Amino acid sequence: MSVQKLSTPVDIAVSGLRAQSLRLKTIAANIANASTTRTSSGEPYRRQDVLVRARDGLTGVTIGGIVQDAKGDFKRILQPGHPDADANGYVRMPNVEVPVEMMNLVTASRAYQANAAVLKRYQDLVEVTLELIR
Amino acid sequence: MSEGPDVLRILETGLKGVGLRQAVIANNIANLETPGFRRRDVLFDQVLADAIEDNKVADLDENEAWVFTPGTTPVSANGNDVNLDVEVGELLKNGALYKTYIRLLGRMYRQFDLAIRDNAG
Repeated sequence: MSVQKLSTPVDIAVSGLRAQSLRLKTIAANIANASTTRTSSGEPYRRQDVLVRARDGLTGVTIGGIVQDAKGDFKRILQPGHPDADANGYVRMPNVEVPVEMMNLVTASRAYQANAAVLKRYQDLVEVTLELIR
Repeated sequence: MSEGPDVLRILETGLKGVGLRQAVIANNIANLETPGFRRRDVLFDQVLADAIEDNKVADLDENEAWVFTPGTTPVSANGNDVNLDVEVGELLKNGALYKTYIRLLGRMYRQFDLAIRDNAG
């Protein structure tokens, strides 16, 4: 048996930490690009989301990848002087809703904290076990 | 001495391995933003298994043969694959292992102490 196999709760909590910190990263990118009207593809910025998948058995979570939110139409605002405005003077804005992103920010950071709490509590439990061989 | 594996030697190897692991993880964290750096780890199970099999303390001081680069973690844009969350988790596991070995060692020495005192009568 491997020594490392004794500490799967740590690995599970760490997988959660990684997934949530990637979510925080994409939320940061979404908020930062909330008014980006042109990306390298020529289109306005599309909000991104993290796909998380459960690993087989009790081994935590795995990151499925970062996906673009294809739904949600680009809002059009009238701004004829804008370089990205169309013939009628309308500019297409990203499909990022800042209030939604703020809500996601709260849930992602809370989930990160929860995983960190699991890590801490497991550490305390190991200490309790070690008290038996003091 | 007695037959079978020498517990003191196994514990000594374990402690050495844990010490090396601590240094390797610290090095990983220090290189969190170093472009092209790949995280390293210690072949800990191998060190312990060899020590138990050969019934001697593995020589970790002489070479870095026990240190390896897993290369299985996703690499970021700058060629670096160190993740702080992962390293903190590894540090935690390593710390728990260290404490376990120290406690077991302490217990062994207390046993020796007991034997000596009883014989002194």
